[in-house]
Amino acid sequence: MNAIQTDALTELINIAFGLTAAKLSEISGSRVRVDAPIVGIYPLDALATELTTFVTGPVTSIHQVFSGPISGDAILFLNFEGAVKLSNLFVEEQLRSQHLDSSKGEILTEIGNMLLGACLGVFGNLLQVRVSFSIPMLHLESLKHFLTSLSIGGDELQHAVVIATSFHIREQGVDGRLVIVLGVSSLDRLIQAVERWEASQLRVS
Amino acid sequence: MPSRILIVDDSSLSRRVVRGILESEGHEVTEAADGMAALERFSLEKPDLVVLDMVMGGMDGFDVLQKLRQIDGQAKIIVATADIQRSTREMTEEGGSRGFVTKPIKKEELLSLVNSVLEERPA
Repeated sequence: MNAIQTDALTELINIAFGLTAAKLSEISGSRVRVDAPIVGIYPLDALATELTTFVTGPVTSIHQVFSGPISGDAILFLNFEGAVKLSNLFVEEQLRSQHLDSSKGEILTEIGNMLLGACLGVFGNLLQVRVSFSIPMLHLESLKHFLTSLSIGGDELQHAVVIATSFHIREQGVDGRLVIVLGVSSLDRLIQAVERWEASQLRVS
Repeated sequence: MPSRILIVDDSSLSRRVVRGILESEGHEVTEAADGMAALERFSLEKPDLVVLDMVMGGMDGFDVLQKLRQIDGQAKIIVATADIQRSTREMTEEGGSRGFVTKPIKKEELLSLVNSVLEERPA
């Protein structure tokens, strides 16, 4: 991926994450601050290290596999404390606690489903590719263990494209990361789609 | 009437899109890829209008907006961002921006806003 392609992909993700943040703001009733997205290609064996730079401490993740011309994994990471606070917003006051039980797990899974769906939906719409999603899965295990569940990592894969952004809901103490991991087998198709989108954007002007 | 417009955006694609739209109307366009460059160019060039992105690495758009208004309290600044939250719009308005367009940029929407802000008389 050259610098122009990386720039176009970053801008596309910026738009998709912007809409996702608006969705999260609507859900939480609070302002969401979004950091500039990061796009990088990493050897698979360095992926855990790379993701660890985004995710520190106990983590809750909601993971959705997507497939189609471009396929991979979309993951919403939340700090554990933030995940509890976010889920508490949706339960009655007497049921609020500092723990994640099954009903709060369901709430978080649904929030993840909405956010990941919004992000991938925009991603697919802008690139004009049809993306299908798996059922979202909530993970509470360690990051290392979680990474073994990624759908990429097939035989031919040696590298992964990581697209990530951080977001923060200051009033609720929620810190999160939205991460999309693609196998390089999707990379050529992604680059072609991004180049078509870039050309369509430049035609606008 | 052609004006001098500064585009502040860390995305080269966005800058090219906005530049194309503005130049098609005869405006003279300069660019800054980050907040520091924006403050420098603004101080040196005194543009008629700034088109400012919000989500940027380093100094973000809110900081740039605040600093531009400190340099010139009458600066005409419009925001072009992918952050479509209502609170973002409100905060940028409170910070002194004159308008707000969301990405992907639509030509007619941007030109309409640019023209109306350029036509505003100084307060």
